[in-house]
Amino acid sequence: MDIRRWIGGALAMATALAAGTVQAQDIKIGFNGDQSATAVAELGTAGRWGFEMAIEDINKAGGVLGRKLVPVIRDDLGTPPKSIQNVTELIDNEGVAAIVGPTNSGNALAFMHIPQQKKIPVIVPIATATEVTTRYAKQAQNFLFRISMVDREQVALIVAYAVKASPTKKIAIIADSTGYGQGGIKDATEVLALHGIKPVAVEKFGPKDTDMTSQLSKIRGEGADTVIVYAIADGTAHTLKSLDKIGWAPITLSTWGSQSSVLPRTAGQKLAERLILTASTTEDSNPRAKALGERIRKNYPTMTTFACAAQAYDAVLLLAAAMKAAGTTDGEKVAAALEGVTGVQGIVKTYDKPFSKTDHEGLTVADFYLARWKGSLVGRYEDAVTKTFTPADFKK
Amino acid sequence: MVVLLQALFSGLALGGIYSLVAVGFNITHGTTRTFNFGQGEFLVAGAFVSVSVLLLLAGKGINAPLDAIDVTPTVYAVSLVGGTLVTAVLGVMLYFTAVRPFAGRPGLAWVMSTIGFGILVQNTALAIWGPSPVPMPSPLGNDVIRLAGAGFVPQEILVLVVSVAVLIALDVVMRRTRLGKAMRAVAENRNAATLMGIDVSAVVVGAFVLSSAFAGLAGLLVAPITTASVYMGLTLALKAFSAAIVGGLDNPRGCMLGGFLMGLLEALVGLWHAELREIAIFLLIIVVLAVKPEGLLGRRRVEKV
Repeated sequence: MDIRRWIGGALAMATALAAGTVQAQDIKIGFNGDQSATAVAELGTAGRWGFEMAIEDINKAGGVLGRKLVPVIRDDLGTPPKSIQNVTELIDNEGVAAIVGPTNSGNALAFMHIPQQKKIPVIVPIATATEVTTRYAKQAQNFLFRISMVDREQVALIVAYAVKASPTKKIAIIADSTGYGQGGIKDATEVLALHGIKPVAVEKFGPKDTDMTSQLSKIRGEGADTVIVYAIADGTAHTLKSLDKIGWAPITLSTWGSQSSVLPRTAGQKLAERLILTASTTEDSNPRAKALGERIRKNYPTMTTFACAAQAYDAVLLLAAAMKAAGTTDGEKVAAALEGVTGVQGIVKTYDKPFSKTDHEGLTVADFYLARWKGSLVGRYEDAVTKTFTPADFKK
Repeated sequence: MVVLLQALFSGLALGGIYSLVAVGFNITHGTTRTFNFGQGEFLVAGAFVSVSVLLLLAGKGINAPLDAIDVTPTVYAVSLVGGTLVTAVLGVMLYFTAVRPFAGRPGLAWVMSTIGFGILVQNTALAIWGPSPVPMPSPLGNDVIRLAGAGFVPQEILVLVVSVAVLIALDVVMRRTRLGKAMRAVAENRNAATLMGIDVSAVVVGAFVLSSAFAGLAGLLVAPITTASVYMGLTLALKAFSAAIVGGLDNPRGCMLGGFLMGLLEALVGLWHAELREIAIFLLIIVVLAVKPEGLLGRRRVEKV
């Protein structure tokens, strides 16, 4: 009897001690995404810089729950297997409390079951595929959140502009044949239908193609005056070059991926400036954004895709706010707390209840605007059409 | 009409590249009955070595972006020499490590060894230059030239002019000079060629040097159009190989014809249904193989017993 009580006491003490040492430790936050391999690597790199800046700022202000945040960075090289490996390693070996990432939607879809099972909240700061936040929406707790430009919401903005700006309402879509491009065709066709418009042409090209003159000639032949390009930056750049080759300059719209410097470097400055694209934030959108942009640029003068840095920055702020609200780093409680956080002043906007039980998208079309390359930076784009936008225009 | 002209231009430019690589297959096949299945990776090596030479001449680091002012026609020519020299040396290495030990033996060991050599080259390139594509400015600028309503960039003309010039030069060398005659003799009958006093091993090494240099040249020519990427080799080499098969692997003129045919077919089918291009190409191969297995300009090989 005595011995049993003694053992029980020792066990209780050991548990308390162990818990004590864990609590005294820093809080690790993982970042996983392509930072080197594909045309979207620049987005991932910018995201990482924003992520690191946010952790720096939070630590300067005293950390979270009296503990320091520590970044753990992993590069998934744009491949799903590596991404899965990274996430497993971050959770099981590093013991991260939360993850920010990834860059590519395909990778998010490949690894998301792991944090969902292990109850680790993930905020996606870049990848845009709609399914990332919806796949587990019906489960008791969905651990996937997003602060990024969801495809469908971007399309809502692009199409709203296309419909208003096109004089003849003859709108065409050209997309690459990857999952990203095909998803874009589907979204754009559906949203156009909500406006009562059927695209006059839908053309495709291979992800490695460099000459789209044939497809574009066909589109021009159909009488289109507005073209929606749905591809990653190099495909979009080659589309712009091909447009130039056939000597045609329709209204050309694309997504935020075109903020990658691959676009002006491949298509040239002059052609890049013709393209109208989407943004959640640019360095000229508010003083906080300007300050963050300048800070990052001090260390990394080559940064492009500022929006990714801003979104990753905000993702960390939201995680920190949720941990404070939950009073713990326990994944389940933090995820639940994320659904209630409010009043978090981020770079993109002030987040007042950005998430709910059923909706894990922190940003919507209301937060987006159109942008354009100007010199070496992307800035807000406004014209007579954008000034007349009303919320009713953004059908989705 | 303009649309058709546009497709013709695009097809010819692309076809020039396919032809260069396809002829590379022909040259080594003629002399050793083998060819480099890793030819696409030599294209990658050529492109990246040239990019590095350009960066070096511009005084920049190995991973810095290239700006348009860094690429003048003169430095481009220098980098062209650098790129083709390195791939030529790679060709010699390929021959001695991956082809000579296996050529002429029964079995297809040389297929695996040349693929393996290509993977070695590609992974070395990956380790040095990283996986991200490198946009490369054209030495002739990016301003579109217009002809009868159709537009094309100067680099496409350069590709077409250089590849046609190189192919014509090769044709003349093969048919008119002693060296060319020696190469054709080796292709025809090794033993007889040796007896005639031809240095067969020198001719064979020369064939690999030439074939690899062509791939390197193609890599640098195509890089300003497609951007240099470690992964750009496979697709190009596969289409070039298809071109060689369609045109006739044992006839250099056939390989050239096949290359241009592939490029034109791709561009013209694109006018109709872009997603059917690959289908059209491989359908053509099947049809050609069924009707004329030796290729359009190929010669039926009769084994005399």
